[in-house]
Amino acid sequence: MNAYPVHPDAAVPLAAMETLLPVLFRALGGDPALKLKPAGGHGAHAWQDEATLYLPESIALFDTAELNRRLYLWLAALSAEPVDETLDWLNRNRVAAAACLARQPGLAAEYRSLVEAFLALRPEPDSLPDEQRLAELAVRAALTDPAREQPASANLAGLAPVPLWLHPNPPRPQAKPDAGANKQAGSAAPTETPDNGPRAKQGDKQAGEEKKVALTDFKFEAKPRWEDYLSDHRDNQGGGEGGQGDEEKGPRATGAIDGDDAPPATSGMTYGFAWHTENDDTPLGPGIKLPEWDCRKNALVPDYCLLKPMLPAGASRQPLPDRLKSLARHIQRQFQALTPERSRKSGEFNGPDIDLDRVIRFFVERHSGHAIGEPGLYQAWPQKERSLACLLLADLSLSTENRLPSGHKIIDVIRDSLALFAEALTASGDRFGLYGFSSIQRDEVRFLVLKDFSERYDDETRGRVLALRPGYYTRMGAAIRQASAVIAEQPAERRLLLIVSDGKPSDLDHYDGRYAVEDTRESVREARALGVTPFCVTVDQEASAYLPHIFGSNGFVVVQQAETLPQVLTRLYAQMTR
Amino acid sequence: MTAPERELPFYQPVGDECELFEAAWRQQLPVLIKGPTGCGKTRFVAHMAARLNLPLITVSCHDDLTAADLVGRHLIGDGATYWVDGPLTRAVREGGICYLDEVVEARKDTTVVLHPVTDDRRVLPIERTGETLIAPKNFMLVVSYNPGYQHVLKSLKPSTRQRFVALAFDFPRPEVETAVLKQESGLDDARIAQLVTLAGQLRRLAGYDLEEGVSTRLLVYAAKLMAAGMAPRRACRTALVEPLSDDTDTVAALAAIVDAQFAA
Ligand SMILES: Nc1ncnc2c1ncn2[C@@H]1O[C@H](COP(=O)(O)OP(=O)(O)OP(=O)(O)O)[C@@H](O)[C@H]1O
Ligand SMILES: [Mg+2]
Repeated sequence: MNAYPVHPDAAVPLAAMETLLPVLFRALGGDPALKLKPAGGHGAHAWQDEATLYLPESIALFDTAELNRRLYLWLAALSAEPVDETLDWLNRNRVAAAACLARQPGLAAEYRSLVEAFLALRPEPDSLPDEQRLAELAVRAALTDPAREQPASANLAGLAPVPLWLHPNPPRPQAKPDAGANKQAGSAAPTETPDNGPRAKQGDKQAGEEKKVALTDFKFEAKPRWEDYLSDHRDNQGGGEGGQGDEEKGPRATGAIDGDDAPPATSGMTYGFAWHTENDDTPLGPGIKLPEWDCRKNALVPDYCLLKPMLPAGASRQPLPDRLKSLARHIQRQFQALTPERSRKSGEFNGPDIDLDRVIRFFVERHSGHAIGEPGLYQAWPQKERSLACLLLADLSLSTENRLPSGHKIIDVIRDSLALFAEALTASGDRFGLYGFSSIQRDEVRFLVLKDFSERYDDETRGRVLALRPGYYTRMGAAIRQASAVIAEQPAERRLLLIVSDGKPSDLDHYDGRYAVEDTRESVREARALGVTPFCVTVDQEASAYLPHIFGSNGFVVVQQAETLPQVLTRLYAQMTR
Repeated sequence: MTAPERELPFYQPVGDECELFEAAWRQQLPVLIKGPTGCGKTRFVAHMAARLNLPLITVSCHDDLTAADLVGRHLIGDGATYWVDGPLTRAVREGGICYLDEVVEARKDTTVVLHPVTDDRRVLPIERTGETLIAPKNFMLVVSYNPGYQHVLKSLKPSTRQRFVALAFDFPRPEVETAVLKQESGLDDARIAQLVTLAGQLRRLAGYDLEEGVSTRLLVYAAKLMAAGMAPRRACRTALVEPLSDDTDTVAALAAIVDAQFAA
């Protein structure tokens, strides 16, 4: 299939461009929710589906790295262009290329150099059989002068591929029954219905749109995400009025039972699943009763949840893993700079030094006959001048077991994020605590104590962070209430409650949809009333459908590339606290 | 007191903000302006002050700003002490707009001195001299801040916020931004159009790859450098790319976006 020579010496791997291309793609109007992935096994073509932008894993088409690099830039720019799916392949690409070049005059010269080098690689039209010769001439014309109109092209089958254009027949995840009909690369017929979500809209994406989702756009899922891959096993269906939950704590059934508000079961898949009870985390004390907001009653139901503080099982003393060391050093240096040299505090009532400014002012005021009662005339260097406390609360629900496109599990990224965050905050000297949570219904909200505010961050506490495993569901309201209560007790002027999440709140016993969102929103409101500033950092790309309602439009950020969470988290913290 | 005729600082209205401001002034209501950095808040206040023919006293707030810095203090001179009004007191005494820029940076105990002048009493008690000043009709308090998520830890107390009528600013629409760039830099229309397109593209990255979208202020800088003869790519690198990020990967990506807009 690949008719072109390969130039390994000049090859540019996608990995070398993977930070640059997504930014370029988004800036030029590409759907910001798409993830970049290498296109393997489909030749050197670019394409996208609902979730992913695929670009060639490596480009070695040209004999210079510069040209191969330019081809990547060109493909990212072209992919960002809205595509008119009603046109045939040639015209679809021609029109998109023309629009792209019109809007990005800076690309024109580089595009010309690419086309020139590329046409030299294609077969001479005159060397081709007649019908192919015409098609080849059409392709050449479309590449050379994309703005010039062309008739819907005849059969392009058999022509050499055009890696400067988008995939002629991108593989679709849910192939329609007739999708196989147009298998031939270069078929002139449109291959799919034009309605494919994000692409249709991408042309008019506005800055910040992600954050400005109207409340009316709410899409509540009827069921927790967890059930996407575990079949239903609600062990009660008490109607959600508060009547359920006090029953047996024995092994929970795995029979599939639908709650009354759940949609009909969609698949016959059933995974056997046992809650692991041996080797479980160690409870600390009998647990804490917490209220929950019932939006149907518009009231806080007291003592509705039982939250159990726990220590993670299987933790042992651990040094910082080698793979995190250099990043940790880097971040620590930045954070040491945060420890302010302005930690000098003036106007204290006692302290090791005299505050000369104030003494002079005091004498002047007294001289004028308006002395103030008891002036603070000393300077001190109190321990925690930034007077900032931060509690990091990590979502440890089972969905963190999911894999990211890069192959990492979300839980691994969260674990690393916590570990680096702790190193950073230790360097800054700010007081902090680390906690995680998951839940199995209202009477088992598991609140993992990784590092209490009173504890030092050392091998012991680090060991707990590194021992984190995914738990169960996400009863976020209860966890936020407990976290707020903990941080509210910290002697600090500013209290930041950072919630790291991967999805919307949900639990088995009717804690989902609007109910869960409203309870979480209420818990955030309560936190604010306690003088705590809650802020959510999420890797859920759909989060703008529900987080503005919970945290307010400035109360959260969506991290595009979950793998960068460790860096993003520390950077955010530095920005927010400076 | 007749203020000297002043030149009206250029301000390109985005909506009806000038009318709203004027209405607030007539009703003696304090105004809060929120919006991202460099979107024209300061320019707007300067413009309105000139338009209403009011003196403008601006204070840039910071976390060491004390109540005395706003109200005033006694100083020593020649063996005696004398009182010096702070900017707020001066504005209350003489009339005019007192503009507190980046008010969230000030400590909470400092902003509390604003309370009596911003409710219907409109008085300023000066503890240290025992005076209580009554604000004249032409005194107006204006504060501004940037409400972005980076500043969530520094928000105003509700009891302070709820004393103001608020105007929300954002980066201007392309037509408005075009007019601003044209007026401020005198650059040719074609390159201004390119800059405005580029601005829209860079702003798509706000919150993901960039802390904040590129400001109108930076675009004005880039336009001015280009108008002075600097090559566009170079001007954008200096005025847009480097000021927006320190992260090497991000800088490289921003440079690629610039290069896709402006030819070498
Ligand atoms: N609507 C506008 N009319 C005229 N000039 C504008 C307008 N918007 C922005 N500008 C230009 O942008 C520059 C920056 O605006 P300004 O200093 O008022 O920003 P700001 O909102 O006060 O920012 P900061 O929050 O950083 O203080 C101005 O010098 C002016 O050149
Ligand atoms: Mg300003």
